[in-house]
Amino acid sequence: MNDYHNPVASLVKVVVILLILAVLLLPFLWILVNSFRPTMDIVGGPEIIPSSVTLANYTGLLDSTPYWLWVRNSSIVALITIVFTVPISVLASYGLNRCRFPGRNQLGIAVLAVYAFPTALLVIPMFSLFNRFGLLDTYVGLALVNTLLAVPFAVWMLQAFMRSVPSEIEEASAMDGHGRLRTLFRIVVPQVLPGIFSVAVFAMVVAWTEYLFSSVLMVSDSNRVLAVGMADLIGQYRVDWGRLMAGAVMTAAPVVLLFSITARWFLRGVSAGALD
Amino acid sequence: MSTIELVGISKSFGKTTVVKNLDLSIADGEFIVLVGPSGCGKTTTLRMIAGLERPTEGDIRIDGNSVVSLPPQKRDLAMVFQNYALYSHYSVAKNLAYPLKARGVSKAEITEKVQATAEMLGLGEVLKRRPGQLSGGQRQRVALGRAIIREPLAFLMDEPLSNLDAALRVDMRKEIIQLADRLSSTVVYVTHDQVEAMTMADRVVVMFDGLIQQLGTPAEVFERPANRFVAGFIGTPRMNFLDVTVGQGKELSVEGSSVGIGGSLPMSVGDPVVLGIRPEAVTVDPDGPLEVSVTLTENLGSETLAYGLIGTQEFLLLAPTRAAPQAGQTVRVACDSADMHVFEPGALGERLTVDA
Repeated sequence: MNDYHNPVASLVKVVVILLILAVLLLPFLWILVNSFRPTMDIVGGPEIIPSSVTLANYTGLLDSTPYWLWVRNSSIVALITIVFTVPISVLASYGLNRCRFPGRNQLGIAVLAVYAFPTALLVIPMFSLFNRFGLLDTYVGLALVNTLLAVPFAVWMLQAFMRSVPSEIEEASAMDGHGRLRTLFRIVVPQVLPGIFSVAVFAMVVAWTEYLFSSVLMVSDSNRVLAVGMADLIGQYRVDWGRLMAGAVMTAAPVVLLFSITARWFLRGVSAGALD
Repeated sequence: MSTIELVGISKSFGKTTVVKNLDLSIADGEFIVLVGPSGCGKTTTLRMIAGLERPTEGDIRIDGNSVVSLPPQKRDLAMVFQNYALYSHYSVAKNLAYPLKARGVSKAEITEKVQATAEMLGLGEVLKRRPGQLSGGQRQRVALGRAIIREPLAFLMDEPLSNLDAALRVDMRKEIIQLADRLSSTVVYVTHDQVEAMTMADRVVVMFDGLIQQLGTPAEVFERPANRFVAGFIGTPRMNFLDVTVGQGKELSVEGSSVGIGGSLPMSVGDPVVLGIRPEAVTVDPDGPLEVSVTLTENLGSETLAYGLIGTQEFLLLAPTRAAPQAGQTVRVACDSADMHVFEPGALGERLTVDA
């Protein structure tokens, strides 16, 4: 019989994958390694194995900046953003997928077209608008903006998941006596949980890394978010690279941690068996 | 259990009319089967009864009350889908309980009913499992259980057995009939398999091209098919159709031979008609009126299928293997005139009555 196993091809595949991984991960590795080097060394030049290792960047960051305050603010805004984004995206993508109305397809695309608009142009009108409605310098206000930025892509992403839910199980739910909303929440949503998880994660990342509106709309020091706080480390005349690297690691860390813990919850057990 | 009436039902999708002016009355407790080839409109008709499609015209009544403007939730009908449509994120128990939740049944009662239904269908051991962990037959029973547990006004089944392997299909056919009997249910069953129709139905509705071709008991559609389509659709192997002309007296002229049909037709000599004879209805008889030159035989065990020609027209006969002709032989066959069917020419040619 034929033996399809080709050791040379496998080796080549592994090497190529490793190379691609190296290219992708190098920036992160760079930041991680440098966060443990003193700034003087960093400026001096790159080293694969650092000559001196220090925790001063981290301790300095935590001592001299209100890092935890920034994390707290970012967390609150991110949470509110998720709470706004998920229901809106779920309802919108469900409606676009299942309800038939004139202009439906056009609307589906128009939703994405929002991203073609230069957001920088919105900053001043937003400021003015938010001021008028008392939303300036509030968690909810910033979360609203983040929601606006996250929803179009979230809707687009969820549509693919919605489409994969067979219409028969919704029909079965209707035959079983349940109305449309009940069917949506009890039957459709559990079937698209991976999609919803992805939307939540996406919303979180948008909120966590958003800089432009965060810097303009969160006026007071006590409401400052992490992305804006970190930018302060870039001084006008000199950059504390070590601290900046540490800051980058500490900004990314919570997100990575969250990912690795929660991913399994949502992705478990949603699978085959509905249809034959 | 209830009566269902379809009055002048039509359904069009854009320019295509899929169901044309259908009238059907289903009695309380009747097991009625809609059978026909793909695209004949049977599934669409079922879905209109369910409320999943809205008729373009016509009325649907359950127990005399018009339900055509009611959504499926309000019709109190249960449907078993072809691919079961189970809720894969729920356990079997929760799948069964789901229809009862819509009715605000108490938790205690739900547990009781789920247990009872599961036992009735042999699902007691798998209540905690999810559909993904079940076999095809088990999933089908969960789909049935979900329908039964509600004690609906009627059951609608859309080709529920077509995804099962042949052996399982035979078993499940029996189970469904027994279940329907036990619950004295009104069942509307859709299938493309005429064997299912013949073995399960109280009455059969043979459909083609959006129209009812014949409505009758299995015996009626088999022994007295209303037109050529029904004659060719019902019965395996398929009925033979020979293009013949009307002969003198009580005879037809078949490829030069005269065949007596036991009566006269209201037509003139030389008019073209179609003679239908089932493969199992002929016997090899040296004095028979028809001559078949056999080209190929298939040994099915106790019976043999012999493919041949009468003149230039194909003819199939089914004979006990002991008495079956061989390939290359020419045999004469005879057929009882009671087993002969005469139709007008054309795919939907009407049955012609033979005046004895």
